[in-house]
Amino acid sequence: MSELMVFDEVREAIVMSGGEEIQKCMQCGVCAGSCPWGRMEEKSEFNVRSMFHMGRLGYDGYESDDFLFACTTCNQCAVRCPRGIKIPEVVRSMRSVIAETGGIPKNLKAVIGSINSQGNPWSQERSERAAWMKDMEVPEYTPDKEYLLFVCCTSAYDGRSQKVAKSVVELLKAAGVSFGVIGVEEQCCGESVRKIGAEEEFTKLAEYNIDLYNKKGVKKIITTSPHCYYTFKNEYPEFGGEFEVYHYTQLLDELLAQGKLKLSKPVNGKVVYHEPCYLGRHSKAFDAPRNLMGAVPELQLVEFDGNKDNSLCCSGGGARIWMETKAGQRFSDVKVKEAAEKEAQVIATACPYCIVMLEDSLKNLNKDDVMTVKDISEILKESL
Amino acid sequence: MKIVVLMKQVFDTEAKISLDGNKINKQGVSLVMNPYDEYAVELGLRIKEKFKGEVTVVSVGGPEVQDALRQALAMGADKAVLVDPGADEIDEYTTATILAKAIGGLEYNILLGGFKAIDDGSCQVCGRVAEILGVPVVNMVTQAEVEEDKAVVTCDIDGGSAVIEVKLPAMLTAQKGEIEPRYPSMKGIMQAKKKPMQKIGLGDIGLDAAQAAPKVKALSYSLPAARAAGKLVPGEPAEAAKELARLLREEAKVI
Amino acid sequence: MAKGIWVFTEQRDGEIKKVTYELLSAGRKVADSLGEELCAVLLGKGVSGLEGKLGEYGADKVYTVDSEALENYTTDAYTNILADLAKEHQPTAILLACSASGRDVAAQVAQRLGTGLMTDCTDMALEDGQLVFTRPVYAGKAIVKAACPEARPVMATIRPNVLAADAPQAGRAAQAVPVGGNTGDIRQVIKDIVKQISTRPELTEADIIVSGGRGIKGPENFALLEELADVLGAAVGASRAAVDAGWKSHSFQVGQTGKTVSPVLYIACGISGAIQHLAGMSSSKCIVAVNKDPEANIFKVADYGIVGDLFDVVPLLKEELKKLLA
Ligand code: SF4
Ligand code: SF4
Repeated sequence: MSELMVFDEVREAIVMSGGEEIQKCMQCGVCAGSCPWGRMEEKSEFNVRSMFHMGRLGYDGYESDDFLFACTTCNQCAVRCPRGIKIPEVVRSMRSVIAETGGIPKNLKAVIGSINSQGNPWSQERSERAAWMKDMEVPEYTPDKEYLLFVCCTSAYDGRSQKVAKSVVELLKAAGVSFGVIGVEEQCCGESVRKIGAEEEFTKLAEYNIDLYNKKGVKKIITTSPHCYYTFKNEYPEFGGEFEVYHYTQLLDELLAQGKLKLSKPVNGKVVYHEPCYLGRHSKAFDAPRNLMGAVPELQLVEFDGNKDNSLCCSGGGARIWMETKAGQRFSDVKVKEAAEKEAQVIATACPYCIVMLEDSLKNLNKDDVMTVKDISEILKESL
Repeated sequence: MKIVVLMKQVFDTEAKISLDGNKINKQGVSLVMNPYDEYAVELGLRIKEKFKGEVTVVSVGGPEVQDALRQALAMGADKAVLVDPGADEIDEYTTATILAKAIGGLEYNILLGGFKAIDDGSCQVCGRVAEILGVPVVNMVTQAEVEEDKAVVTCDIDGGSAVIEVKLPAMLTAQKGEIEPRYPSMKGIMQAKKKPMQKIGLGDIGLDAAQAAPKVKALSYSLPAARAAGKLVPGEPAEAAKELARLLREEAKVI
Repeated sequence: MAKGIWVFTEQRDGEIKKVTYELLSAGRKVADSLGEELCAVLLGKGVSGLEGKLGEYGADKVYTVDSEALENYTTDAYTNILADLAKEHQPTAILLACSASGRDVAAQVAQRLGTGLMTDCTDMALEDGQLVFTRPVYAGKAIVKAACPEARPVMATIRPNVLAADAPQAGRAAQAVPVGGNTGDIRQVIKDIVKQISTRPELTEADIIVSGGRGIKGPENFALLEELADVLGAAVGASRAAVDAGWKSHSFQVGQTGKTVSPVLYIACGISGAIQHLAGMSSSKCIVAVNKDPEANIFKVADYGIVGDLFDVVPLLKEELKKLLA
């Protein structure tokens, strides 16, 4: 009797945390069949269909690093689910039930701790957030500026990714955009902690940022990362944050069409475009990146076999970037191998997480002497 | 088998420490179960599973500590007791006096705790509690074979490890070892909501503040000097290596 | 009235550990300022005869308990004897080494004597006639100065290598006071002791870590880092790249997707400094980087950097450190 009550309560708890769609699932298995975890060389125990089954019935056994926390929230399954279930949302709510009680993977605890104390997930000093702009002129955000440029924590702190932030700044300047950066007062957008399931921390961040932006008079935001873009656009409104949000590729695409961004210098070589899940499948911004690269003289753009809605994730989303994925199960390895087969010299992408994952794979597969990973902004900058 | 686990809630390892006057600022940090105590809870649960026992987690602190206690309950502990010391300035003597008094009123065959807490790292509360209760203590336990009336444990000692046998009841403090603490399960979390969590004050265990008054007084807190800008040690490898060794000893004072 | 500064001798297999001399040297100064005597407490089997050494480092008196039952450290035996001695002689302070056994016995004795204990201290000073101890807390992210104003004895465990040992005065003798000592009922029964030949500490526990990355070029070259680690008593770590290459197992991986560490000294060899690595070690107190590439990210967080080939630098550094630590 008491066991049965527990069963119901688990489902109720998931529903209460925003996973009500778990009840719509008909267990058809399309999701698990679409999930990249099932397509890797090395078998993984993760199966999203059975996780939903266990969650609904209140069974134990999926609360581990490589099950509940395996999902990269890439949305591949959701675009195919016949019931139209927002699967990553259900996963998030299932995580949040666990996270509330401290049962999250150790590495992710460090991420949350860092968010709380430093305002970024990388355990880096809050006061160093603006260090990336040390040797360049970056306008400060003031109310007369049209856009706030929000630089993702990764691009603010990671030496590699700082180059992306700088390229975006140069492009915006070249196109005559009125923009500015806030800097040290900013905190993480909260995308990562929400995906971990740490709702309380996410709420704190969202409220803090919205308040900061409102005080500064921000109306429009440009992001360097698709994850920040997705969060500002889709998750801040429920906290009263109504901003017009652009991923930088979207704005640059408009500017290109208006003739304000001029790409004149040729960039040689074969470039394959890796679609960031949160720009592509989640936000349907398929054209902007392709238009931009297509406008670069001489650049030869090729596609992965799976692209747009069928693009394979890099495996860095859903907080997986902070967790270890076994060799043989890394989606980014598969991507690098395909890019090598296609004899691409550059893998272009537009997300700081994708860059971290892809560059790691490039090194591990010893392909870093024949290929590089570039952010689209870095390619466009060369073409200015 | 009645198992009692002593638990502490601490700042997580990522916490940025700042001062609030002459005190540590408690704002803006994540509070977690002391990682060594997670090992103790895990050890307790394994003993419970072997003997069909019961695990009680006991802690001293304010209402915020309930979160960490609830984690232990969700992992599988059966009961929690939280004693509010009713004071801010406490030391290990205070904590041990309170814990021993609270545990003294419980039935127990084995007492467990983390061998140290990652905040003050003082490694003495469990030992003190054992001393008050008159039970033997073995510290830094990495493995434990528990039987009805005794435990055979492997523990770290200076320069190696030892296998030690103690009669129960005994206090064992956990060092990180082969056992990995489990995560709470969804079902465990639901069940935890119904498990008893007793919140009591000093009066409830027959103590007055004077009996538990601290012996040690913190005079002042400070933060270490901010990191100076890094320097490159120049010269040929031989020269640079020599200079680096000197700097590490004389300037950084780390070796 | 409490009288006397006591130092609990840290000895293993009849060999006195250096930390004891450090405690005696510091204790000597305190004892002189207070006009009290400095006593050492020496427990063990076959330890009679070591008193002279303790005298040379400043002890006025040595209470020795030489007994079969004290051959190996046990909590109960050592606690019973030290607590009895302290009850009888009422010292002002007892200083111990912050070692596994020092910490262990200190907690038991402090409780039995109903006094305060400050552990893991890095400094000790007399301020207005009061002994004040400095101890790092929150993994060294804060420092507290603390005292034990009323209860006696004041007890503290002090880290090895933080206080200076003075030069011994040859011929300076201490009064040897052999004591019977009652070990009482020893409830911890030792079944086995395993001595570690190489005591390389566990990664997350280590004070010093020597770590290697892709620049190490192959698994065989980790031997270079291991040799350096052994000179320092350090643990060995690896970056994700080195682990991925199969040169070290995942348990060695330092970084956000591996182990988060914050040692006192972190020596990164051939590690470029990817953000995941930095996130897992940048709270280390002192960071040293050796890398060929002057642009490597690791130099951004390093306190000391050498731009050079680690295959040249690391062996030389090992030799230099060996000389210094000899
Ligand atoms: S595809 Fe949708 S309906 Fe089918 S099992 Fe997955 S979640 Fe359920
Ligand atoms: S979101 Fe992606 S990783 Fe998660 S279950 Fe769906 S397909 Fe798999």
